Amino acid sequence: MNNLIRELRAERGWSQAELAQQLDVSRQTINAIETGKYDPSLPLAFKIARLFGMPIEMIFVPGEE
Amino acid sequence: MPRFSQKQYEGRVLVAMALYTLCMLVEWPLVRTVASLPLKCLLALVPVLPMIYVIALMARRIRDSDELERQMHLIGLGISTALVGAASLVGGFLSVAHVLKLDGSVLIWIFPGLMFCYGLARWLVARRYGAGAFCESDAGSAKYALFVLAGGALLLVAWLGRAHLDDVRLGFLCGVGMGLMALGAAFFIAQRRRRARGGE
Repeated sequence: MNNLIRELRAERGWSQAELAQQLDVSRQTINAIETGKYDPSLPLAFKIARLFGMPIEMIFVPGEE
Repeated sequence: MPRFSQKQYEGRVLVAMALYTLCMLVEWPLVRTVASLPLKCLLALVPVLPMIYVIALMARRIRDSDELERQMHLIGLGISTALVGAASLVGGFLSVAHVLKLDGSVLIWIFPGLMFCYGLARWLVARRYGAGAFCESDAGSAKYALFVLAGGALLLVAWLGRAHLDDVRLGFLCGVGMGLMALGAAFFIAQRRRRARGGE
């Protein structure tokens, strides 16, 4: 799954650590999500969408099957 | 509830390991000199207490982890349980068949073996998810210094106690001390390389 988290974070001027703190996860988790190495659970994906004030499908885009 | 940080966890584990080392060096040799069975049992089991504390710390760390960290803990624990369990079975069957001579003291190595395999497996899994070596926490603080310090402390204890310690204990202290210092050096080099590459 692809996502726009790195771009959205950069727009707001947040570091990975700051975003991790707001989502109550580790910086490593943010890095893994941004690089596409880990797909977050549905609750975490909704939390991310709520934080950025965007619908979940605008942030997470399904990759090629 | 605030997350149980890596720094807090490592600080407490270091204290527990220092207590364990102290028990093994100072208190455990008394076991052979005591005649009373209850007292012998009590003295023999004292080093287990810091280890139980470490297990409780691990449980708390996993409980306070986020979803990716939990996944990595689970994979690490699964791999280590499978490897050590399989090795125990192989050793047990070979011992029963009188092919391998094992005494009860081999049980002492099961927990350290589990922890070693768990740490290694978790590190490999973390690398798969794009993490660097575990010498850097979320806060970016270097941990190689802790390994070097712990190794140096063990070598100092070995040097100070060289007149009183038997060869096995002296060898153990020197080996573990040198190993920790080598790990610290490896982590330091890895960190320097990562910084040179310019990560976030």
